[in-house]
Amino acid sequence: MKEVVRKGCTVFSDHGPAFGWDGGLLRKGGRVIKETQLTGEYGAVLEKEQRSFMTGNEVVAWAALAAEADFMYGYPITPQNEIMHYWSRLAPHFGRGFLQTEDEMAAGFAMLGGALVGKKTFCATAGPGNILMQEPIAMAEMMQIPGVWIIQQRGGPSTATVIYSQQELRLTTAGGNGEGLRIVYSTASHQELFEYTIKAFNRAWQYRFPTFVLGDGYQAKLREAVTLFRPAAKGWTLIPAEPLVRGPGIPALDREPVHLRNTFNIEEELYARLEEQLAAYERLTPEVVEWEVEVGPETEVLLVAHGIVARAAKQAQKMLNQQGQKVGYFRPITVRPFPGTALRQAVGANPNLRLLVVESAYGQLLSMVKAELYGLTNPIDTLLKPGVGVTAEEIVATVTKRAPKEVCHGG
Amino acid sequence: MGRVLEAYVGEYASGKSENAINRGRQLARKGRRVRLVDLDLVEPFYTLRPLKRRLAREGLEVLAWETNELVGLGEAAIPIKKEMTTALAFAGDVIIDLGYGVDGRKLLNLVAGSFATDNAGARLRLLMVVNTTRPLTSSVPLIVAYIQEFGAVDGLINNTHLGAETTVELIQEGAVLVTEAARRVGLPVVATAALRPYARQIGPYDRMGNPVRPLDRYMCDAFW
Repeated sequence: MKEVVRKGCTVFSDHGPAFGWDGGLLRKGGRVIKETQLTGEYGAVLEKEQRSFMTGNEVVAWAALAAEADFMYGYPITPQNEIMHYWSRLAPHFGRGFLQTEDEMAAGFAMLGGALVGKKTFCATAGPGNILMQEPIAMAEMMQIPGVWIIQQRGGPSTATVIYSQQELRLTTAGGNGEGLRIVYSTASHQELFEYTIKAFNRAWQYRFPTFVLGDGYQAKLREAVTLFRPAAKGWTLIPAEPLVRGPGIPALDREPVHLRNTFNIEEELYARLEEQLAAYERLTPEVVEWEVEVGPETEVLLVAHGIVARAAKQAQKMLNQQGQKVGYFRPITVRPFPGTALRQAVGANPNLRLLVVESAYGQLLSMVKAELYGLTNPIDTLLKPGVGVTAEEIVATVTKRAPKEVCHGG
Repeated sequence: MGRVLEAYVGEYASGKSENAINRGRQLARKGRRVRLVDLDLVEPFYTLRPLKRRLAREGLEVLAWETNELVGLGEAAIPIKKEMTTALAFAGDVIIDLGYGVDGRKLLNLVAGSFATDNAGARLRLLMVVNTTRPLTSSVPLIVAYIQEFGAVDGLINNTHLGAETTVELIQEGAVLVTEAARRVGLPVVATAALRPYARQIGPYDRMGNPVRPLDRYMCDAFW
């Protein structure tokens, strides 16, 4: 029987099992060792690096496996359910865990508990689940407890549709009762879902701010080819999860005590803590921001979109350029922190450049774009379709027919 | 040839609906009376429902909800139509598109005669659709394990493809894996299914001697 030894898993130290249910796991030298007859077969899917035909939800579950995530806590909600289904099918073959909690708030708080004892934890949710999840996420933000949240946006507000939208952009980037100190990747393909989910785990445990992959119902259900791989095969180093509490030694004697707080007695105490956190967030911003841009001095219209709508925008750009139009493209990949400097550079050199902001929401991306372009006078057109998809053809029609609708007068 | 009674089952996104539709169309083209039943009640995406009228125009009797009949139900589980519980009580052929996985299979408990033989000796055959580019059915041991988890079926269909990246060689490699898995569990491979242009290149039989069923695409119009 081949041994499956997990890297970086130090949670099962002399403290015994971190979770009551997993007493059956084999341990050796503090590491989990468990395999089934199919462990090798499933592992080979990552090793072989073959093209696979998959839905986005499955891709996320495999990405979490590849990222060596330990534990998923979740509560069912469409359109993310198959992330739970596939994770709970795969996890037992790799000594990983899954717990369905009584609701999303419990799932979010359980994630924090898992991370405290050194588990790489994640969760997937959508819509009203994303709203409920904001309280534990705010706590994670305050206490700087790492975790990865996958959001498959559905129609809103409230229960609305189980299908699709980009209406959770604001909630995901700025939800909670704080400053939105989060890292949020907005993906546009299955390959990106795989790679940014892995990256999200690294970012979360590197910076200890809540980290998100912002997908949507289309990406969740869409089927397309993708290549799965082991991060090590690409030279990617996974950042291990270490216990945040209950470390070795006696606190205050052998080591600094760990005091993770979400409650403060006086304003100044909170302010001092927030200043530290805000400075840390400012420092990580240039290291983390990602975007795609295609713009030149001759560009007349700049399409701005994120997520799967950016995919339509890219297609529209190609179609318009084939018609002889001079159309560029800007896509924030991190929607928080927002690549504002890059957007401003793309726009700022050309006062005649018109923007066309396209999204499946009513101005959530638009307000971010306007904030970044404060002071510039470039006209901004919009194609805003809350809760429904946007096709490349609609974008082309908007560029070729519509008169300017909205102008950014710099606030 | 007696009544054809077939249910298309298997892994999520393996191609059950596309194969069920095409099988129904193939039989209908021979002048047979065909009833196509949508028993994919697991989720609202990628079902026969948006295609109901088009398939009816093409000569199939389709037993399915229409999407607008479900408006107002939100994501509450999709109810079974009462006609579906007697779907097999039909003089012609019955092709069932079953929701995914073991839980999809349980729906047959609600369909009268699912596990019985009719007076002419016909009974419902469960055909498992396998795409070997789906990770959980990507090797012989994984296909065998999937069948063992799922429960008894009557045959396998090789439906290996990669969307727009499909090649004839890929389909043939899928046929090799599916045929070997079928051999290990003592099941027949009923067919290799492939989009018509690939089917034409492969010919009437695949590399392993399984008959080739040409497919036309319908499900690309059926997201919701």
